[in-house]
Amino acid sequence: MSVLEVKGLSHTYGGNTPFYSDAVSDVSFTVEQGEMIGIIGHTGSGKSTLVQHLNGILKPTSGEIFIDGENIWERPKEIRKIRSKVGLVFQYPEYQLFEETVYADIAFGPKNMGLSGDELKKRVLDTCRLIGVKDEYLQKSPFDLSGGEKRRVAIAGVMAMRPQIIVFDEPTAGLDPKGRQDIIKIINDYRTATNATVIIISHSMEDMAVMADKLLVLSKGEVVMFSETANVFSQGDKLRSIGLNVPIVTRVFDALREQGYDLPNDVFTVDRAVEVLKQIKAGDRNA
Amino acid sequence: MLKDITFGQYFDSKSVIHKADPRVKIVLLIFIIVFIFLAKNFWGLGLSALFILITMLVSKIPLKMYFKNLKAILPILIFTSVINVFYGEGEPLFTIFGKLDVTVGGLERAGFMALRIMLLIIASSTLTYATTPNDLTDAIESLLSPLRFIGLKTAVHTLAMMMTIALRFIPTLVEEAEKIMNAQKARGADLESGNLKEKIKALIPILIPLLFSAVRRAAELADAMECRCYNSGEGKTRMKQLKLHFRDFSITLITLIFGTGVILFNIFM
Repeated sequence: MSVLEVKGLSHTYGGNTPFYSDAVSDVSFTVEQGEMIGIIGHTGSGKSTLVQHLNGILKPTSGEIFIDGENIWERPKEIRKIRSKVGLVFQYPEYQLFEETVYADIAFGPKNMGLSGDELKKRVLDTCRLIGVKDEYLQKSPFDLSGGEKRRVAIAGVMAMRPQIIVFDEPTAGLDPKGRQDIIKIINDYRTATNATVIIISHSMEDMAVMADKLLVLSKGEVVMFSETANVFSQGDKLRSIGLNVPIVTRVFDALREQGYDLPNDVFTVDRAVEVLKQIKAGDRNA
Repeated sequence: MLKDITFGQYFDSKSVIHKADPRVKIVLLIFIIVFIFLAKNFWGLGLSALFILITMLVSKIPLKMYFKNLKAILPILIFTSVINVFYGEGEPLFTIFGKLDVTVGGLERAGFMALRIMLLIIASSTLTYATTPNDLTDAIESLLSPLRFIGLKTAVHTLAMMMTIALRFIPTLVEEAEKIMNAQKARGADLESGNLKEKIKALIPILIPLLFSAVRRAAELADAMECRCYNSGEGKTRMKQLKLHFRDFSITLITLIFGTGVILFNIFM
């Protein structure tokens, strides 16, 4: 059984006003336990709207969402239970911090789930250890931290709920390269530790090439492709036609191939590029 | 749900009312409100209603938008009418609770009050739907400009600028509030159930980040304005000059004719 199934999901904003617009229309896909799915698409392609349906923040205009085979809107009163199963980290999550201390802020989610006492404390401390929030930060005000640290704490706040599916909406937006690496590491660590299913919205094709097993490509609210990352990135022209592109390293290899160099067309990450180049170098020496 | 607040929601249907000088529109709205209040009988109020109906049609704004605003004041409307039903004079039609008399006069009075409130709301909605918030504040600044003779020149400009900024940021802050609400909901916050005390407590995780972001935005905006050498002193020119056109005079004339009509009905009917 798939851990997540989306069937014919459509969402219209401003239904009864003259300003209405279709944000997503007829989106269907399934995600298996433990997969890492990337969602890519041009600005306004409906990515954020789509993920806000996965934990019931938005209610679909039509269509259904199944978590572990269960329709999440079957019992609307219990929608909050879905939110501890499916964690959603919004864009710029640092703007949601509000408590007096980092500890209290991270504890907000688990507390809402009904944890208390030692269990709550253990959950918060475990999460901090998992993603590298130092103990000395716990009694600080979250507003005194740096931008990158704030984001880390905000992500910890969602991870502390131990969701089995965790969704990130552009988790690395506005961070420096070091900050980006840190966030990617946190996501990978959480995945390894909990075997959770991860869904990430990103504008960075490079990050997606490294991280994602599969890519869901959206354009104007519709699914254009849903396939293995390598398969998606081998269709550069199609991606470019909807305002996206392949990773930079792939573009370099494409350009070289056009100039007549005999290079493979499955280079999507820098690591793979290094590997290919090393092989060629070794081959040249042998020749 | 927060999106339902229509305050300052400009609806661009490109009518002659949209194009008219905002100063004229504000002054005429005041005039219209005065003559709606002056109307003493159904003749006068009927004429006002006819006038409002014409402006509604001319504005090309969907009727639905007007109904939305009327729906918002429905409780006030019902309250006023119900109270007024019992204050009529003359023979009671019937009596409830043994004391409260419902008379024909009372029913008339209730209808009169309800219609008057509805007309007032529709008239002011027309102004806000057909005028951008920026035009409105420009017009207020221009209308208040005589205050400079008592040494309040920069104060008027500053006040107008504050209003412009406040209006400009209402939708931004509404959007921000919605985002924060969603983020806290995603962390399992319960905003719907619980008693009053719990509900107020549930607002803290929303209000604190919202306040924080409002202060941050204000600081950023102030920096950006200073970088562009903004000052509210003497000699400031405007990109958009307000000028009176022929249409402004015709709109004024038509409104005056209807206003005179209402007064004539008061005297002769």
